[in-house]
Amino acid sequence: MEPAELYRQRLDRLEAVIKGKEPDRVPITAMVTIFQGHYAGYKAKDVILDAAKNKDATLKMAADFDFDSITALTGLEGTIMSMTFLKSAPELIPAARFLQAQYHPILKDVYTKWPGIELEDDAHPQFIGKEIMKVEEYDQFIENPTEYLNRVALPRICTGLAEPGSPESNAAFSKYGAQLAAFGASQGDLIGSLAAMGYPTFPTAWSYSPLDVLGDFLRDIKNIVIDLFRYPDKVKQAVEALTPMLIESARITGTVPPEMKKALGTDIVECFFPLHLNEYLNPKQYDEFYWPALKKVLEETIAMRQTPYILFEGRHDAHLETLLELPKGKVIAVFDKTDPRKVRDVVGDHVILSSGPPNSLLIGGTPQKVDDYMKSMLTDCKEGGMMIYPGVDGGISGDARPENVQAMIKAVKKYGTY
Amino acid sequence: MTDVREDFINALVDLDETKCIDLAKQRVEAGEDPFTILEDLREATDRIGNMFEEGRFFVSDLMMAGEILKQIMVVLKPAFGDRKIESKGTIVIGTVEGDVHDIGKNIVTALLEAEGFTVVDLGVDQPPEAFINAIRENKPLVVSLSGLLTEAIDSMKKTVDAIKAAGLRDNVKIIVGGGRTDEEAKEYIGADDWSDDATSGVRKIKKLAGVA
Repeated sequence: MEPAELYRQRLDRLEAVIKGKEPDRVPITAMVTIFQGHYAGYKAKDVILDAAKNKDATLKMAADFDFDSITALTGLEGTIMSMTFLKSAPELIPAARFLQAQYHPILKDVYTKWPGIELEDDAHPQFIGKEIMKVEEYDQFIENPTEYLNRVALPRICTGLAEPGSPESNAAFSKYGAQLAAFGASQGDLIGSLAAMGYPTFPTAWSYSPLDVLGDFLRDIKNIVIDLFRYPDKVKQAVEALTPMLIESARITGTVPPEMKKALGTDIVECFFPLHLNEYLNPKQYDEFYWPALKKVLEETIAMRQTPYILFEGRHDAHLETLLELPKGKVIAVFDKTDPRKVRDVVGDHVILSSGPPNSLLIGGTPQKVDDYMKSMLTDCKEGGMMIYPGVDGGISGDARPENVQAMIKAVKKYGTY
Repeated sequence: MTDVREDFINALVDLDETKCIDLAKQRVEAGEDPFTILEDLREATDRIGNMFEEGRFFVSDLMMAGEILKQIMVVLKPAFGDRKIESKGTIVIGTVEGDVHDIGKNIVTALLEAEGFTVVDLGVDQPPEAFINAIRENKPLVVSLSGLLTEAIDSMKKTVDAIKAAGLRDNVKIIVGGGRTDEEAKEYIGADDWSDDATSGVRKIKKLAGVA
């Protein structure tokens, strides 16, 4: 099949599911960080630190695996940078949304560790987080989050920017700007090359769950959990202060020029939400501190005609029913450790269901085991439309066996048709 | 059981931090046998474990319980003086090489210590040799390999293979733990058991140690 024809076929398949219809078969949306590198014979550090090698590897994988979409995500969580630049430099958000290895030696951020830098050459990049905001600083943050992020948090997060106005800081900012431009260009190039091979990409906006901004970037996971017990009112006020900023982030990043929509051939705009504290919180905490603010951001994002693309990391079982409070069929929900059958039982087709084989199966299983797993899941869950997100959580593991990934694709073609 | 003991246990199970630590201090100041207080801690952690497994407790609750336990141990330890807390045995725990996450490992460590085990915590990003050395030095009943990342699965396999190659595999039971572990991963790694949550991990470690 010609690439243009493949592009249209894959896009139609994805669009049908997102618009609540059943396509010819269940589409496979692949997310990779290291897998493409290993497949092409590289180490993690090669594809993480070198955009040209990542492109080479991603295109090799794209040629050999018949996915419906490919996202090669080499960065780590960096929404804090988006939030920091939200008012003064919103055009930087798409490139700054993820922390990249190339930024790390310049910014010297305290959150991340990278292969070939702090970690061994073939290790997976890791987001560690850190307590940036002291517990006494909640009020200062609540009063003016933008000021706090720029003047207090940023110099602590990025030790390369620790002394605003210093030669080191000025130089770091200048180099960071150049890297943002280079990264943006390489991403555009990769997406264009994938499109030329028949792989569609949806325009993507960026937002986040308000409480997760506090947990991931400002207070650290352990501290935010303890804060919920010790200082519930402060946490609640901080979440309220962040909520309009996250709506604004979706608005700014989801405003896609008509010519881009035309070039990509779709009017769908996805808005990405990775959830992190959902599995940690008990239902009382979830209902009080997490869900109301997230729901508000989601509702506003849906009102902007974007499609929230939510990664429900870990086990979301205890909170599934809250999804019924959202308008029907308007969010793509990727489930990690929650059994998709349970999702169907509790919320039916209220959300656009996405799930996949776990990485343990893609790493340690056999093609036959993968086939069995996919057959069972697709038989039980595909009615009403569904998408496959292989590996779930972080996408396809760097250690996944290529023959198992191929078995997954084959199984979707066998059992995922309508 | 006296009212104060029941109150103390309930305060911990209810995660009432202030009340629980106040009661611990009062009991120590009143000269109560610290072993009785320790026994109550074990009773409370047992109940917490059961509630977690019944779905009435969540990770955040365990983290808060661990935080309270840590503070109580600070209050309690001086009260033992020269008297040694009898250990149920040694457990070696650590996050495997290539992974630096430790929230789950730290909860397991706090719960195991409250249970009366001696825990040798190797920390994060530990190569196979660190586990091998710890097995030789500490003669643990169980080695617990922890990791959050999917990539930890391969690292755990390498660690178990290295323990085998060092001729130590028959000396210890090995459990793997973390959000990405499951039956498939356990088989692939060659471990004796697995757990993706802290309380079932502790229950399984006790079983592997033969003290369940």
